[in-house]
Amino acid sequence: MKTKTDFPNINERKPEGLKDDGSPFRVLIVDDSMFVAKQIGQILTSEGFEIMGTAGDGEEGVEKYKELFPKVDLVTMDITMPKMDGVVALQKIIEFDKNAKVIMISALGKQDLVKKALLTGAKNYIVKPLDRKKVLERVVTVLKKQ
Amino acid sequence: MRVEYINPFVESAFNVLKEVLDTELTRGELFLKSSSQPVLGVAAIIGFTGDVQGRILFDMDEKTALSIASAMNGETLSTMDDLAKATITELANMITARAVTKLSEQGFKFDITPPAIFTGKDMEITNTQIESLIVPIQMPLGKLEINVAVREQM
Repeated sequence: MKTKTDFPNINERKPEGLKDDGSPFRVLIVDDSMFVAKQIGQILTSEGFEIMGTAGDGEEGVEKYKELFPKVDLVTMDITMPKMDGVVALQKIIEFDKNAKVIMISALGKQDLVKKALLTGAKNYIVKPLDRKKVLERVVTVLKKQ
Repeated sequence: MRVEYINPFVESAFNVLKEVLDTELTRGELFLKSSSQPVLGVAAIIGFTGDVQGRILFDMDEKTALSIASAMNGETLSTMDDLAKATITELANMITARAVTKLSEQGFKFDITPPAIFTGKDMEITNTQIESLIVPIQMPLGKLEINVAVREQM
């Protein structure tokens, strides 16, 4: 049967959330909005990613990262949060693990902070409102860059 | 109140609502209020400080708030629980942030406060120092009133 190889079946597409060995990419979500955390969680789990934990502020985010390390492949980090904002939390995570992959989640209008975060070591950013395509695209780009 | 402050909010509200709710919107008549006015039942408020001072209020009745929150979450929410409140807050945040970006491109520099949400019956809001402009937005899900009160820094 030639067709099977010539015409890959789109239904057999591998979910974006799986590594080459078939195990899921593991994500930590840091966001003070329950709505946004849930939204990111739903988008990612639907593609096979595994949500290792969520944190409601920067301080908790850093703690959770250290606790879960090295079982986290990616962090989504809100910028405006109580106690410790996302840029400081990013700094602390990078100090702890210079290879950490952190994607900033930002409302429009925070360009200065986004720039600062990218200079500090964030790998990419996503501007809200979030949509499925945008989130997956950025997450996959970051995970593929080794 | 200068109209260049208001337009970005109206525009951004239209764009964000269209984007997140995928719905038809029509704008009602704008009106100015300087006295007290009732709050519809669920109101998210964000303050401004800097070159421009004031606040924006996103006001709707509970039924509308629940319909919006349900649509944004892709599931039916029947009470104003923490998730429903977080959803409405986030909507207010997105609209305001986008408007502020436009205004800062026009040279107005100011910050916004974290949003707060009021829920309850028989509330009213009174501005003693700034008159507010109300922009009603009609959607199949219900009516949302955007209530902006701003002035330049004194």
